[in-house]
Amino acid sequence: MLKKYFLILSLIIGILLVYGFTDSGQVKKGDKHPKVDWEIGCQECHKDATPEVYVKWEASRHGEVNFGCYICHGDGQEVFYKKGKDDRCEGCHSTQAEDMKKTKNKSCFNCHNGHSLKFHN
Amino acid sequence: MSINRREFLKRSALVAAAAAIGVDSILGNTIKTIDKTGEAGTLQTKGSVAWHKSVCRLCGVGCGVMLGVKDGKPFGIKGDSENTINKGLLCVKGFYLHKMITAKNRLLYPMIRKNGKLERASWEEALNLVASKFKEIKEKHGPDALAFYGSGQAETEETYIANKLFKGHIGTNNVEGNPRLCMASAVGGYTTTFGADEPVGTYDDIDHSDLFLLIGSNTAEAHPVIYDRIVSRKKKNPATKVIIIDPRKTPTNKIADLHLQVIPGYDLAIMNAIAKILIDENLVDEQFIKESVNFSDGTNPITYDDYKKFLGKFTPEYAAEKSGVDAKDIIKAARMFGESQAAMTMWTMGVNQRVAGVFLNNLIHNIHLLTGKLGKPGSDSFSLTGQPNACGGVREGGGLSHLLPGHRVIANEQHRKEIAAIWNVPPDAIKPEPGKHTMAMFDAVAKGEIKGIYIMCTNPAQSLPNLNKYLKGMEDAFMVVAESFHPTETSKLAHVVLPASFWGEKEGVYGCTERRSQHMVKALNPPGEAKWDADILIEIATRMGYGKNFEHYTSAESIWNEYLKTTKGKDMDLTGATYARLRKLRGLTWPVPNENHPGTWHRFTEGDPMLPKEKAAGKRMYFYTKPDGKAVVFARPDKGPEEPVSAEYPYVLTTGRILEQWHTMTMTGQVPELLRAAPKPYAEINPEDAKKLGVSNKELIKVTTKRGSLKVEARVIDRPRKGTIFMPFHWPESLTNILTIDAVDAGSKEPEFKICAAKIERA
Repeated sequence: MLKKYFLILSLIIGILLVYGFTDSGQVKKGDKHPKVDWEIGCQECHKDATPEVYVKWEASRHGEVNFGCYICHGDGQEVFYKKGKDDRCEGCHSTQAEDMKKTKNKSCFNCHNGHSLKFHN
Repeated sequence: MSINRREFLKRSALVAAAAAIGVDSILGNTIKTIDKTGEAGTLQTKGSVAWHKSVCRLCGVGCGVMLGVKDGKPFGIKGDSENTINKGLLCVKGFYLHKMITAKNRLLYPMIRKNGKLERASWEEALNLVASKFKEIKEKHGPDALAFYGSGQAETEETYIANKLFKGHIGTNNVEGNPRLCMASAVGGYTTTFGADEPVGTYDDIDHSDLFLLIGSNTAEAHPVIYDRIVSRKKKNPATKVIIIDPRKTPTNKIADLHLQVIPGYDLAIMNAIAKILIDENLVDEQFIKESVNFSDGTNPITYDDYKKFLGKFTPEYAAEKSGVDAKDIIKAARMFGESQAAMTMWTMGVNQRVAGVFLNNLIHNIHLLTGKLGKPGSDSFSLTGQPNACGGVREGGGLSHLLPGHRVIANEQHRKEIAAIWNVPPDAIKPEPGKHTMAMFDAVAKGEIKGIYIMCTNPAQSLPNLNKYLKGMEDAFMVVAESFHPTETSKLAHVVLPASFWGEKEGVYGCTERRSQHMVKALNPPGEAKWDADILIEIATRMGYGKNFEHYTSAESIWNEYLKTTKGKDMDLTGATYARLRKLRGLTWPVPNENHPGTWHRFTEGDPMLPKEKAAGKRMYFYTKPDGKAVVFARPDKGPEEPVSAEYPYVLTTGRILEQWHTMTMTGQVPELLRAAPKPYAEINPEDAKKLGVSNKELIKVTTKRGSLKVEARVIDRPRKGTIFMPFHWPESLTNILTIDAVDAGSKEPEFKICAAKIERA
């Protein structure tokens, strides 16, 4: 009996862990940032860690107005989206999102580069 | 229960994860669900998302946002693409508004301090205690032993009720609000120069301007959507130039064509020098000056020639020596301004939070009046506001100790009588003397002269300057705090804490920087036992025996309708801004004197419905809020800071804001993504200063002023001018305001948060 309860409990904890830390099949929490340094912001590290991404972003319209990494990628620890999600874009670009729905495209990122935001790049 | 932020975030994530799979929190800290049977809960059908038109809760830009609600709970936020201000765009803070609604620090029930600890209480007990204690204080010590301290974040309806209760019924003009800490100098500037508060133009001028002068404004971080509009204008019209006058290089510098990196506190000399160059090089509009401008030395009228003589000493070289800026750059800035077709100056706390704040505001208006760059597309002297309803509720609604609703002043007998009639109180019910301004108010609290204070929707125990002087008094007084969040630094010290409905959970109006009043929908029911602030105040009024003048309100609209009466026929006439219109439209810019009026772009000129046409005949602008229709160019001296640097305190400490956080972090501090961007307190220090002090990046430093010391991490960065350090004031665990000075501008009574002398040591 005890064993049965233990199994159920393990199952619940397992479900919690899997569902709790995943997001629609995105990368599991911790996969990218197992040891995020909470003492520094994303940009501080990524300027050096992924300079090509940082430079692209900084030159983009998002970089121009300081729309930071966390908008598309989450806070990096509790929530982490490896790839940007369309619902993030729609927050500001709802008109464009409506237009996109009229096309055959399934995602903003089919046409727009995530960091430079350039079209067909 | 006390938890640190990191722990809190971990728990939030667990709660969110648990909610996502439909189970209660494994920590037992579930967020209270919304009552689906209530008014707001019936607005959408189960399972579908309903999007409601509203206005952003954060800064003073007034962006339109759509609040998504699903099954009675906040679902998400979208920029309102039909709103003329932001056209669908949001800044990073507004993007997460929905997460603030369900923040873990929402206050759910009233609390009363018992045996030194805040304990849960019933509304009945809390309201009876507040009313009886306020009555007792009034009877024993007189009405001026009581005070109200409100907020530029409260709705106009809420501030209106507080004003009516305290000034009209309790009988004290000790009614203040946090706009005293941020916008009072702008009010002082507009009222002295133009005879009436608030800008001539609107944001639409941005799309027509070819020169932006940004002074004391880090627009990119403090007003991001306005910054975005400037960026767009520059892209569309590459000839557009941007001049910045600021002691720091900030993210706004990305679009700067010229930066005058001034020594903090010495920009008045630059503005006078610019005025001199404009006149000397004949870049002024003599016809406009003749028709629409008077000159004054601050006490008496002077002539144009007197003014020119006054400017004599303000050569570019003199200003350069005072301000630490190259004289050539001052000349260049003056020419760029004077030669532009249309110019907008925009400023905020770097100008207002100064002991010379009103003077500097006047000097900004001066260069627009001299050149006639005002009241036409693309030209304006345009103050940027810090809070969403500082202009609407507090400046227009009269929520300061010297004001009454509808741009009226306490000192004017006729104004008092007009308001007393609308409030249904005897003509002499409102005292003729202004009450205590914010710093005098908290000084009186500290001295025990004010014994009871009601604080609504603001956090003075973190946001006042020179905090150590005031905190003990706040703890000792009978302090009532009405808040949506707990604990805040202020609610921790309170005797009674009352849970208030938050944005999205109440209906009301916000009035933003550009004279635009916008309606906010109630789309959700408040959590727990939280109530609308206006309802709480009405309950207290009733329990204090003033019910007959408060019990007739049936809704936010009924309060707004009464408020509209106070604006009829005034320069800020809002008569045509009815709820019926505001619910449909993306706001209206006053004056809007009837229900067919579309709102006003430029005041004091053709198209302004309040313009007296006969008097204004033949003149491009007629400032009807001045006796002879002329605005005033002031000869103001280049007054420096209250506390200049010294041998003992050789650095200037300047404080301010960052993009991802807002004020005291009560709201934005609950959003993991925003915390991620700027996780901890810091002080920016110039690399040359750091080298001299032997301080490396991320090393702990001790910053000391005459008022206190704080240990904080150094961020060695080429942003602040050499000799200056910059500290944001957001983080409650590191109270920057224990260091700042509480000296105030003589006219506006706004404190000089922006400048004080400091010393820096390695900690």
